[in-house]
Amino acid sequence: MAALCAFLAFNYFFIEPYFTFIVHHTGDLLVLTVFFVVAAVISQLVGQARSGLAAANAREREATQLYEVSTALSGLQDDRAVAHILAERAMQAFRLERLELSVTGRAPDNAFEFSLPAGRPASRKPERIVPLQTARGLLGEMRLWRLEPMAQPAEERMLHIFASQGAMALERAWLGQADTRARVLEESDQLKSALLSSVSHELRTPLATIKAAVSSLRGGQVPWKSAAREDLLAAVDDETDHLNRLVGNLLDMSRIESGALKPQRQWNLISEIAGGVLARMRQAAQSHRLVIDIAEDLPLVPVDYVQMEQVFGNLISNSLKYAPPHTTIRISARNAEDSNVLVQVSNQGPPVPKEHLDRIFDKFYRVTAADRVTGTGLGLSICKGIIEAHGGRIWAENLTDGFAFNFTLPLLWEGAPPPDLPVDSDSS
Amino acid sequence: MNPVAHILVIDDEPQILRALRTILTEKKFRVTIANRGEEGLAQAAADPPDIVILDLGLPDMDGFEVCARLREWTQIPIIVLSVRDSERDKVAALDKGADDYLIKPFGIEELLARVRVALRHAARAQGRPESVIKAGKLVIDLPRHVVQRAGAEVKLTATEFKLLAYLAANPGRVLTHQSILTHVWGEAEADHIEYLRVYMRQLRKKLEDDPESPHHLLTEAGVGYRFLIDD
Repeated sequence: MAALCAFLAFNYFFIEPYFTFIVHHTGDLLVLTVFFVVAAVISQLVGQARSGLAAANAREREATQLYEVSTALSGLQDDRAVAHILAERAMQAFRLERLELSVTGRAPDNAFEFSLPAGRPASRKPERIVPLQTARGLLGEMRLWRLEPMAQPAEERMLHIFASQGAMALERAWLGQADTRARVLEESDQLKSALLSSVSHELRTPLATIKAAVSSLRGGQVPWKSAAREDLLAAVDDETDHLNRLVGNLLDMSRIESGALKPQRQWNLISEIAGGVLARMRQAAQSHRLVIDIAEDLPLVPVDYVQMEQVFGNLISNSLKYAPPHTTIRISARNAEDSNVLVQVSNQGPPVPKEHLDRIFDKFYRVTAADRVTGTGLGLSICKGIIEAHGGRIWAENLTDGFAFNFTLPLLWEGAPPPDLPVDSDSS
Repeated sequence: MNPVAHILVIDDEPQILRALRTILTEKKFRVTIANRGEEGLAQAAADPPDIVILDLGLPDMDGFEVCARLREWTQIPIIVLSVRDSERDKVAALDKGADDYLIKPFGIEELLARVRVALRHAARAQGRPESVIKAGKLVIDLPRHVVQRAGAEVKLTATEFKLLAYLAANPGRVLTHQSILTHVWGEAEADHIEYLRVYMRQLRKKLEDDPESPHHLLTEAGVGYRFLIDD
């Protein structure tokens, strides 16, 4: 077309007679023909180049979208996140009116389904259904609603690449989850063997004492009325208590590990709980001075009484082990920021090296050589488990003149403070 | 106290039965034993004991059910023994009519103390209900609503008095949160443990020498409270 116009214009303006389309000379006719051919060829080439450019642009767009979708999908570990990213990208790339994505998965418990935009079911059947398939089988499908037809084969091709990228990402997420589960199992296996080796030693020590004491008493080696007899009996009594504590700790630890330790929350007074523990431990703590330093007006906290009793018990008995005799162990509590209460159990024991501070709450972790101090190595990790189950945080710190355990507890229960007390009147 | 009080022990573990029979007989109690629930109920009916020591885990029936069936016809004290340290079990046993509970393993002194308290409580329940309760330095005059500590009158609010009166009228017995709240504040308030916490603190401050380690108003962790007369 351009060549024809140029040909006519050239004829009209530049070939004599001017301003007519008539050609007189044979030479002019030749010039005109050559001109026409050249113009036609050039316009053909330009046209081709332009459509080539358009195709290249389209391909670039396609490549960019594929690149974006695969980068977006690559880092994801969660199957739902994968499906949502896939759906959002497909909505954009194919200018969809609506998309439904259903994942059947390999087990019923990881099947799910959603639509974009969410809500209202479609009024008509989807225009396209694309399976999400990998070499291992069908994982689900995408149902697409779009008014303009999916004409170009390029779009068709891209749709399938999208689907297969999505399917692979889903599978990767599942494999990742399976791997995590396997690792958790392996770790809990390792934990169990560590537990067994620690526990069999810990269990046998008190049993050995009891057996030795009782058999010597029965065998008549010990005079009926003697200090030795009293000592042996006291040892049996102490060691049975020790065994009982050990079994209790093991049970608690396994509850924490399996997530079965659910606090039975009630509104409680920290001072009442701490007081109860102190009264119970007074006998064991004769060598130390126990002090409660809790403000009268400290609000009620929503905690499990028995579990908190255990936390205080474990922290105090830990302090008793490490702090020198005749020093003070202090329980204090005060309001802290973000609707929390901050509780501190401090003692005048030696500082703990900085690198141990975080790790003392680990199972079986000991700062000093294992044989110096008796215990299960579980007390502090049980504390951590309980405090965290309550939504709090626990940590240890060195003070200028001692050592302290700190923990926080939320003051709100499901976002609310304790209810007000009913009005009371005088008795008489 | 009856010098030859009769104790029925219902437990399925022969080692525990053997130990308890030996120790309690040594302490001049008359001891009968049963290792099943049905057997225990039959024995209790045939030869009524003064006190029952009952294990919660029995082969033929639940210990809670034994409690409930005993309570159908008798008010003899029941002390529950259990290896379960779950608070729910303790509360369930107390709700079914048990007076007290002990967690295995327990020291024998602890068991004997509980037995003595329960027997005294039973003896008192058989007589006329006391209107004036004495506990250490405390004198609680129920009809006159007057409380004295070491001879001096202590001012209590109406609710404080109601709470103290309910606890003191059941000395030695573990009263669950639920039962105290229902009794003092009413059915509708039975879940408001926070009332109880605050009022117990107030009572302890007014009545105990050391409110932080009380002698009379004792907390039963996760279960309830108990009023103890003995120092």
